[in-house]
Amino acid sequence: MLRYIRNIQGDKVIWGIVIILSVLSLLTVYSATGSLAYAKNDGNTEYYLIKQLIVVVAGLLFMYLIHLVKYTWYSKGYIIFVTFLLSIGFLAALIIYGLTINSAARWLPIPLTGLTFQPSDLAKPALVMFLAKLLANNQDKIKSLKIYLFMLIPIILICLLIFPSNFSTAAILFVSCLVLIWIARARMAHIGLTILAGAAFGVILFFLIMHYPKAIPRGETWKHRIEVWLDDSKADPEADYQITQAKIAIASGGFFGKTPGKSTQRNFLPHPYSDFIFAFIIEEYGLVGGGFVTLLYLTLFFRIVRIANRCKGNFGSFLSFGIGFLIVFQALINMGVAVGLLPVTGQTLPLVSMGGTSLWFTAISIGIILSVSRGLEIEAQEEKTSFKISDNLYATV
Amino acid sequence: MSRGFTARKYFILVLIAGIGSALLIRLFFIQVIADKYILSANNNVLRYITQYPARGFVYDRNGKLLVYNEAAYDLMVIPRQIRDFDTTGFCRLLGIDVQTFIEKVEKARKYSSYRPTIFFPQISKENYGFLEEKLFRFPGFYVQPRTLRKYPLAIAAHTVGYIGEVSPAMIERKPYYKSGDYIGISGIEKSYEEILRGKKGMKIRVVDVHNRDMGSFQEGKYDTLPVAGIGLWASLDADLQAYGELLMTNKKGSIVAIEPSSGEILALVTSPSYDPNLLVGQVRSRNYAMLARDTARIPLFNRALMAQYPPGSTFKIVNALIGLHEGILKPTTAFGCPGGFSLGSGKVVKCHAHFSPLQLKQSIQFSCNTYYCHAFRNIIDKGSRKSTRAGYEKWRKQVWDFGFGHKFETDLANELNGNIPSADYYDRFHGKNRWNSYSIISLAIGQGEIGVTPVQLANLCATIANRGFYYPPHIIRAIGKADSLNSKFLKKHVLNIEKEHFDLVVDAMEDVVLAGTATGARMDSISVCGKTGTAQNPHGKDHSIFIAFAPKDNPRIALCVIVENAGFGATWAAPIASLMIEKYLTRKIQRQDLETRMVEGNLLR
Repeated sequence: MLRYIRNIQGDKVIWGIVIILSVLSLLTVYSATGSLAYAKNDGNTEYYLIKQLIVVVAGLLFMYLIHLVKYTWYSKGYIIFVTFLLSIGFLAALIIYGLTINSAARWLPIPLTGLTFQPSDLAKPALVMFLAKLLANNQDKIKSLKIYLFMLIPIILICLLIFPSNFSTAAILFVSCLVLIWIARARMAHIGLTILAGAAFGVILFFLIMHYPKAIPRGETWKHRIEVWLDDSKADPEADYQITQAKIAIASGGFFGKTPGKSTQRNFLPHPYSDFIFAFIIEEYGLVGGGFVTLLYLTLFFRIVRIANRCKGNFGSFLSFGIGFLIVFQALINMGVAVGLLPVTGQTLPLVSMGGTSLWFTAISIGIILSVSRGLEIEAQEEKTSFKISDNLYATV
Repeated sequence: MSRGFTARKYFILVLIAGIGSALLIRLFFIQVIADKYILSANNNVLRYITQYPARGFVYDRNGKLLVYNEAAYDLMVIPRQIRDFDTTGFCRLLGIDVQTFIEKVEKARKYSSYRPTIFFPQISKENYGFLEEKLFRFPGFYVQPRTLRKYPLAIAAHTVGYIGEVSPAMIERKPYYKSGDYIGISGIEKSYEEILRGKKGMKIRVVDVHNRDMGSFQEGKYDTLPVAGIGLWASLDADLQAYGELLMTNKKGSIVAIEPSSGEILALVTSPSYDPNLLVGQVRSRNYAMLARDTARIPLFNRALMAQYPPGSTFKIVNALIGLHEGILKPTTAFGCPGGFSLGSGKVVKCHAHFSPLQLKQSIQFSCNTYYCHAFRNIIDKGSRKSTRAGYEKWRKQVWDFGFGHKFETDLANELNGNIPSADYYDRFHGKNRWNSYSIISLAIGQGEIGVTPVQLANLCATIANRGFYYPPHIIRAIGKADSLNSKFLKKHVLNIEKEHFDLVVDAMEDVVLAGTATGARMDSISVCGKTGTAQNPHGKDHSIFIAFAPKDNPRIALCVIVENAGFGATWAAPIASLMIEKYLTRKIQRQDLETRMVEGNLLR
């Protein structure tokens, strides 16, 4: 056991943040699923706690294993292609599956296991890996339009595949990829044009949603959510009271919160353990707790940027930045929804929300970042040793 | 890659930090600045439903129900929870127009946006059933059961009093009450508010923002049950009270009947009165305004406790007793009556025609003014050798001892003091040392500055009936159980006047009825003792006053009847008093003609 712990390498701050978030996840899920346990498991309140404990421990294990792999291995062409093609395959399968059950599905059942997973969870890191590879390989020609357009193809492909089932994930992924390309020194003009095109697409989509909501699979849901977000008074209590309840949770939490286990809003929030877990955290832990969680994600991001900054290889740098940005961006979106800054989306709070496969993919993503970080440490170690040896050489001569 | 990881990363770092800060600012905003949600936090989620206890019933001395409750329902509103809904449909359900709806909601909002306000009070049982079915469609509204007071006999309106919504000032003083609560405003409802009201309970329900009930909070651990109000047994005799009200039809005045042996009030009639059921429920404010506007009849004025009259000749008994006690009068003391008492300089207190001279008993029997002018002068001037003032104060103290000039401070709501002027008053009026017994000679015959209330006069009568003591008049004889006794007011007040003087006066009062000024009150079967009075009244015809008790031995009822602007005491007050006595003692009226004449007599113009 000690051997494994000694083997934990990479950025210790990131490890610390992940551990804290995991513990918080257990605490909040246990408290938030009380009524769910009564509704679905005959009042066995430990059920969700134990389930989440298994998920979290397994996630940490995945993270540990992934971070032991040398990150350059992820840059191998076949790894990248296989994950990318798998993502496309699963996304396509999801759309077909969605057609068979006659609604836009987000979850794909894994045959024989009883588990489900979101193909987009896989597609997100896969696309970022793919993009990091392309960006790293084409750094010299990065300013050419041809290369730029070429890089847009996988992004648009994946995003379009995700789009019907999960607009927000597609949008988050698209924005993250653009940021990554921009960071990787793409031409500002190209990015600008893409943003314009994206905006035009957005406007057209907005128009379609608002006027022909039935033309798009989840158009009506989207339309309603946007309306509610734009205008408080439109909040029709019969259909959509999540936001109001989240705000009540936040407001009643106060500065120090109601203390763990004392939430009353958990009975009213539709998903206190996933989509609205941030509101729940503020209710129980107060403004202090909410601020702390926000700071954890911000710190996580700064540590990841630090890793990216120090990394000598372009691929590792882009990979860790891209994945890190994606995770933290999603976290901020989730929190923004909970506090009413953004319309309701189905984004979970990474590493905290209850969930199985989704949490694992996040853990694996962070494992990759830690792998890059571990690589940095090894390189530094090697530099030091080599210096010492040469020093000794001189001494003996 | 540090060589080329451009400055763009700083932009991203700043951007992310910016978003993080925006989150925190937003959080702060929701928590601190927008109080909207914290208010809903407690009030949306937990609804505190007041459980109103049933208010205690009131019975008469024989167990007849005077006041009970009927269920009604208040439609409550929490303005903050109102969402858009079919307003027209809602208004149609309640039978109000949209304008009224908006006004009512605005008014409720002004009181509080997040606390329940009564939107529409006292919906009947039938309408309630109809409304409750549809209420879920109107978020922010719910129904709260309440009780309405009912008065099956519709008598003794002033005595039982009424309840109404508690005033903001009262809420400030007594935090037990919340807006919309009922409180006793007058009569028994007021005096016994804390016994009748019981104790409110609180039910805590968990509701969601749709105002849907999600069950009780913590399995009702914090709920409290209401404690029902306690019943009261009034000393009133409902039959006698009703009969008194019947007799006083179309007359101004009052009847107060007391059981001398206990001080329990048997009847407390004020006329004109009103149907107590008028001041119940939704129609209360409208009817109250209507009654208050009636300045000719003043039906809301509780004459029995609040009207102050000069007692007239009934007061001669007081002076006689004081005189006897002071040794100034003897049973054989006689004064001649030349048809009046001269005050000098041509002023005369007139007297009516009767034989002369009279002894004490006859002076009562024939109500001789001259006799009492002499007597009063002697009481004042010989009472103290020092001064008129000292003599007067001594006399006043004794009058005070009879129960005049002050409240009994029992359970009679809105009782007034009456007025026995102090020596200081005369000092101010005439100047210090510039008045003497002549100046105040009207007091000898119960006129002048003196003011007494009917209940005080009735108490005088009870005191005489008891031959020298009284129990303070009170209205509630039992609390909680019919056979328990409300001993709080059973404090015997003994006058320092000897019993034999009372015996003399009682004999004289018997003669008044048998062969004196009030033969109209005579009955063959019952020995009635009484004294007439005619109170001069600057505003019109004299008030007719009669005090009486019966039977002579072991009296069971003592009463005072005052009929305003009716002339001599003997004309109206005495027959009415005798009918009341007959009713109470025999439960039947033999003298139908007299009864009819009294009931039909219309002295209102």
